[in-house]
Amino acid sequence: MKKIILSLILVFTLGTVTCWSQCDDSVKKSALQEMGDSQYIKDFSISLVKKPNEVKTGMVRFNVLLNSRNHYRFNVVNGPANPEEVIMQLYDQDRLLVSNLESGKMYKAFDFVCRTTKVYQLVFSFRGGEEGCAEAVLSLVRQYSDGEMGF
Amino acid sequence: MIKNLLIALLILAGFQLLGSCSGCSESKKSDKNALTLPDSLITDAPLKLSEEIMNEVIGNISSPVEMANLFKTSGVDFTQRILNNPDNVSRYETSFKRALNLGVFSADLGYINTFDKNNIVVSYLLAVKTLADGIRVGQFFDFNALRRMASSSTNLDSLMEMSVTSFNRMDSYLREQNRSNVSTLIVTGAWIEGLYIASSVVRESGNKDLSIRIAEQKDIINILEIILSNYAAEPNFADLVADIRELKEAYAPIRITRELGEPQRIEKDGVLIFIQDEISTVHYSEETLNNIMDIIEKIRTKIVA
Repeated sequence: MKKIILSLILVFTLGTVTCWSQCDDSVKKSALQEMGDSQYIKDFSISLVKKPNEVKTGMVRFNVLLNSRNHYRFNVVNGPANPEEVIMQLYDQDRLLVSNLESGKMYKAFDFVCRTTKVYQLVFSFRGGEEGCAEAVLSLVRQYSDGEMGF
Repeated sequence: MIKNLLIALLILAGFQLLGSCSGCSESKKSDKNALTLPDSLITDAPLKLSEEIMNEVIGNISSPVEMANLFKTSGVDFTQRILNNPDNVSRYETSFKRALNLGVFSADLGYINTFDKNNIVVSYLLAVKTLADGIRVGQFFDFNALRRMASSSTNLDSLMEMSVTSFNRMDSYLREQNRSNVSTLIVTGAWIEGLYIASSVVRESGNKDLSIRIAEQKDIINILEIILSNYAAEPNFADLVADIRELKEAYAPIRITRELGEPQRIEKDGVLIFIQDEISTVHYSEETLNNIMDIIEKIRTKIVA
């Protein structure tokens, strides 16, 4: 009898872990709301779970094509059950351009003013290699004309 | 006591398992009725570009939001005659034509939404829905909800967002179902239509930003050519690849130079803003641009015929 109870506890626990990593629609809705007035382009679902024999979760990467003279916003919302916050980073190949974790401060979003059209890499991970889920949105804040790009 | 605990755990485990199954199986479900292109198109032929990059990049090669915004800021008035005619939908009888023109109408929809033309948006939504049904991806378009939104001009931003979301979901679904070939056609159709509308606006207004946008597609056409080439064993695809290669040749004289400036980080209203330090400049002649626009028009005419 004890074995049956232990087995059921195990099934229940594993089931909880498996589904905990999936964000529900409310997280995506929050991410869309937090996008603000900018225009929706694409969303990203992040779900990182430790595989058997893994101590930490890794990262998930998305390739995104960004156009020159466009001002983009990347905002992210954490799943409510995440033990740690999600780190969102934008890379140009191996070169880190911007992260939502900057000098120890965590931002809900970062903006990227793109000046070269190419494929960039958007990378998500969780602090400490924890498991978790998150939803991120890429949106367009504004487009600059050719003469405005001098800054 | 133990019996009660056992019953409680059984109930909990049962709910848990049900919950797990409903949450995880949706994306993996295979649609046996889904129309797929011939097996010859999904062979194990080695891909010349990483499958991962191909699948992800293709999804946002032709964002209607970005192109549509440029149309609006060009100052040129809305012109329906440059768009594909929804009456043409009945002519598209193959999945190849339907997929390409689904892309075309998605770009048209973006253009219409940007100019708040809610009087014609429903007929374009219907065209999208009909073509999507024709390649068995109509479930991603809630036509009634989209039509309700279209009926109110205050909802046009939401309409745009819902349309783009529907296309993104459809694209993910097609890739999950190993129907990337269909997804590639939709993206190609949307990309060509976006450039065709842009060319029309440039010819009318000489708009510099749109001219640059057309010219800087040089890098994108390389990606598109590689992706389409994977399916070139099928005659329809081979024909399309030949057209894309002709366009690629026309892009050859364009030079894109890159220089490094100073990166800038600003914090404004709690948002971190990063201004990229790498600046690209596109060099092209009017002659090259005109040649490119001519070929775009030729390919587009073939697609919508």
